[in-house]
Amino acid sequence: MTTTVRTPRTRPLTIVAQDPAVKVNNRILTAQVMVPAESLARGPRGTRVHVVDYDASTGALYEPFEYPHADGSFSDPFKRPNKRTILEDPRFHAQNVYAIVMRILGRFEFALGRRVSWGIPGHQLKIAPHAIADANAFYSRDDECLAFGYFPGSNGGTVFTCLSHDVIAHETCHALVDGLRKHFMAPSSPDQAAFHEGFSDIVALLSVFAMPEVVTALLDRPAGDKDGLQAENGLIDKRSVSMEALRTSVLLGLAEQMGQEMASVRGDALRQSVQLTPSVRYLKESRYMEPHLRGEILVAAVMNAFLRVLNQRLKGLGGKKDRFLNRDRVAEEAADCADYLLTMAVRALDYCPPIHIDFPDFLSALLTADHEIRPDDSRYSYRSHLRQSFADYGIEPGAKLADGTPTPDGQWTRFDDADFNYDCVHFESLTRDVDEMARLVWEHRDRLHLFDRAFTEVVSVRPCHRIAPDDGFPLRETVAECRQHVTVRASELKSKFDIEPPVGMPPNQVLALQGGTTLILDEFGRVKFAVYNSILTSAQQSRHLDYLWKYGYFEKGASLRQQFSRTHLRRSLGEVRDIEERW
Amino acid sequence: MSDPIPTRTTIRAYQVGFGDCFLMTVHYDDSAGGDRHVLIDFGTTALPKRPRRSTKHIAEHIAETVDNKLHAVVATHRHKDHISGFSGSAGEIIRSLNPDVVVQPWTEDPALEADASAPGATFVADLARMQTIAGHARDQVRGRANGRERRFGKSVREEIDFIGDDNLSNREAVENLASMGGHNVYTHYGEPSGLESVLPGVAIHVLGPPTVEQYNAITRQRSEDTDEFWHFQERASLREHRGRPLFPKAKTWGKARVDLPLETRWLMPRLDRIRGEQLLQIVRVLDRALNNTSLILLFEIGRRKFLFSGDAQIENWEYCLKHAPDKADKRKLLEQVDYYKVGHHGSLNATPKTLWGLFKNRGDESMEDRMTSSLSTMGGKHGQPHRGTEVPRTKLTDALKAETNYQSTQSLLSGGAPFNERTYDV
Repeated sequence: MTTTVRTPRTRPLTIVAQDPAVKVNNRILTAQVMVPAESLARGPRGTRVHVVDYDASTGALYEPFEYPHADGSFSDPFKRPNKRTILEDPRFHAQNVYAIVMRILGRFEFALGRRVSWGIPGHQLKIAPHAIADANAFYSRDDECLAFGYFPGSNGGTVFTCLSHDVIAHETCHALVDGLRKHFMAPSSPDQAAFHEGFSDIVALLSVFAMPEVVTALLDRPAGDKDGLQAENGLIDKRSVSMEALRTSVLLGLAEQMGQEMASVRGDALRQSVQLTPSVRYLKESRYMEPHLRGEILVAAVMNAFLRVLNQRLKGLGGKKDRFLNRDRVAEEAADCADYLLTMAVRALDYCPPIHIDFPDFLSALLTADHEIRPDDSRYSYRSHLRQSFADYGIEPGAKLADGTPTPDGQWTRFDDADFNYDCVHFESLTRDVDEMARLVWEHRDRLHLFDRAFTEVVSVRPCHRIAPDDGFPLRETVAECRQHVTVRASELKSKFDIEPPVGMPPNQVLALQGGTTLILDEFGRVKFAVYNSILTSAQQSRHLDYLWKYGYFEKGASLRQQFSRTHLRRSLGEVRDIEERW
Repeated sequence: MSDPIPTRTTIRAYQVGFGDCFLMTVHYDDSAGGDRHVLIDFGTTALPKRPRRSTKHIAEHIAETVDNKLHAVVATHRHKDHISGFSGSAGEIIRSLNPDVVVQPWTEDPALEADASAPGATFVADLARMQTIAGHARDQVRGRANGRERRFGKSVREEIDFIGDDNLSNREAVENLASMGGHNVYTHYGEPSGLESVLPGVAIHVLGPPTVEQYNAITRQRSEDTDEFWHFQERASLREHRGRPLFPKAKTWGKARVDLPLETRWLMPRLDRIRGEQLLQIVRVLDRALNNTSLILLFEIGRRKFLFSGDAQIENWEYCLKHAPDKADKRKLLEQVDYYKVGHHGSLNATPKTLWGLFKNRGDESMEDRMTSSLSTMGGKHGQPHRGTEVPRTKLTDALKAETNYQSTQSLLSGGAPFNERTYDV
């Protein structure tokens, strides 16, 4: 009888858990993560990622790393690396970026229940771990790559952005969100400009906290550290897991340990989010019109919800009379909580409108997407904590009833398709074919809040298959994005669309009004949600046009190549926006 | 004996290509005292090809005009296109005119270099770092760095070269300025200009730059980041300049780039271009930081007001217009400007629209005694029309032509006098 060796589906690879500044017992904290076991070509180069270790500053092309798996095994060549390997071996750097990018991609695919594309043509995102000598790292759609910079640190050593988990996760997230919602990179509103940055920070931070190794290390800080949760013999005093203690130990603890030199690259989203005292006023303040500062409000809302949920979960640990909690259980709870919130955040993307995202709509998307797969929120109250935390920062759900009043649960209202004619389409095609979906959309364009004189395009149709945690049954959905745009002159805005042109805009200014609808179809192919931002909603379109005009987006020469690079540079410099003063 | 009273003021804008050189002459009723001459900036990064004149030629013309005596020199900031004329043989001529006072912004005070703990010293040190970075950037595009030609794309290369060159440290001019005057004044927003003693009967308002303590935005970096950003950039550019490999022991392909792995060839030139654009972003930021150290002077002579703003951009102007405790008074003064030296050669963000909105003496041609705008520039040297960054900015010059008596040194290209001149009864 012959035995067949089964190829493993995943393989372990070692990464730096956060960045080289986060240490345990004077060792850089590393973790082994599971990534798909694939046949890697040199680079490494797999189905979705291609590492090219070219340094444009010095002109050096490092030899592409070739994984030793001729024997069919998928071993980890850098198990328990020492400091020298971590800091001085470019092959480890290549593995680090490959594994973290694949891990984040895997988290998105898990959350969405399908394969997820990058925002670039093709399947392989290029990654340059030592692209430039600069304190910057960014996603470039035009160049189909993530570029990571490096720079000399103040202690004489080199700071590598490609060794920072949250920087890599953040940039990967830009590429993924760009794949899911291409038009979120387009200028639209202060919220949309901030969304990419804020959402990427949320994913980056939650993905770090979702590793028990990191949380354990934070809890294990030496006794006597006034901010730490005192950990002895693997136990933690139950009284010390209050919201405030968690805030200073877990969140601020990590912020303090992160290499501060890296703050010029990543900003200091974690620290800012911890210290941003809840207030409903921020969103209206002029300084929070800056994309990265505004994004920090979103991060603060989610990270504070994380603390609220974690606090509730920890209260349920141990008996009532127990004075101590098991440290490993606390770490697991924290990691599990971060992981679930991360899943919620990613799932929400499917329930967002295809264009003109704002924070209230994102909140409604969060609440609705989670309710669909987990109707009962009573155990840990994720949704109510999120809603309260967002409200603390002045963000109320965007979902409205037909009469314009907010929906009681903050979720999108279920779409009434009673008058829909499904005879014109075929179910199977509808779940994967943009032309079939376009047929359904066209037949019901008025009901879907589409403008029939605009150019209309079904951008994507994506079938999803998720497992409901409550009953283990699959939730099947189809998500379709339909986008519209129409070209008009400023002089036509009032007469044709009841939109007041921005003050100072010349009548012959040519511009595009944009809108669209996201359709969520249930397992029977029926529309259950239609999330839209219509071209015909004049108040909203006026706000977008005002914003675009005020911030100079009708100027020539905008390039996507350096969009994130410029945003990050502005973050480093705290640059004042001066568009209103320009000629 | 009472002070002499100014009767007329003449302003000459010299044609120095892309640069500034203004000679202000205040005429007095006192024949014994005679005219008083103030030279405001003297520099260029690109002299016109026709008529061909050197800075020495311009300096000789100035010497002849002022009858070998300058009363004051103002150097608004240290960019090459504002101070290069103070070096070399031209600089010697200016020095020989024995200015009684040399006025510069507070950032040029040598005492700040010596005392690192003084307020603003960190920013001044950063300015020096920026100049080092500019030098490295220019070397990169000229192929001097680490022995290989840079592949950044023509327009990026040219812009880095232009800005990098303008931002190079000009030690000779700086030292000449520091030592040529009877005395040196380093001033800032709200302080005396130092010109009062040589221009009796003239009120001079210093509207910029603010100090770091007055307005942190001029440093263009978050206060909490202190000077770390430019430390990083300087160290990074130094490594790049030296071309030291990041991992000396790792195997790399040689500089000849022979037989590069096929799978890397698509991305490599793109990363080169990314680096070029990245470098350009950095030099633009540092260029702007230096511009924002510009002195902004408003001369109030009789009933006339003359505004010289160097290359000040919005962060510099913003303090005066929006944040200073006495901003209302300053805005009132600016309403009545008669002569405006157009900021930063007519770039898109050096004549803030808030400032433009204040000017009351602008209007169509029928307006009596409308203001004059004077532009010293050279088209085609800086910025790109398709990006809306051309200098001078067409939108701005259109507005200046429509609503002011517009004069530009560019109109002097065909020959004749090497300057535009305008005289006011005050």
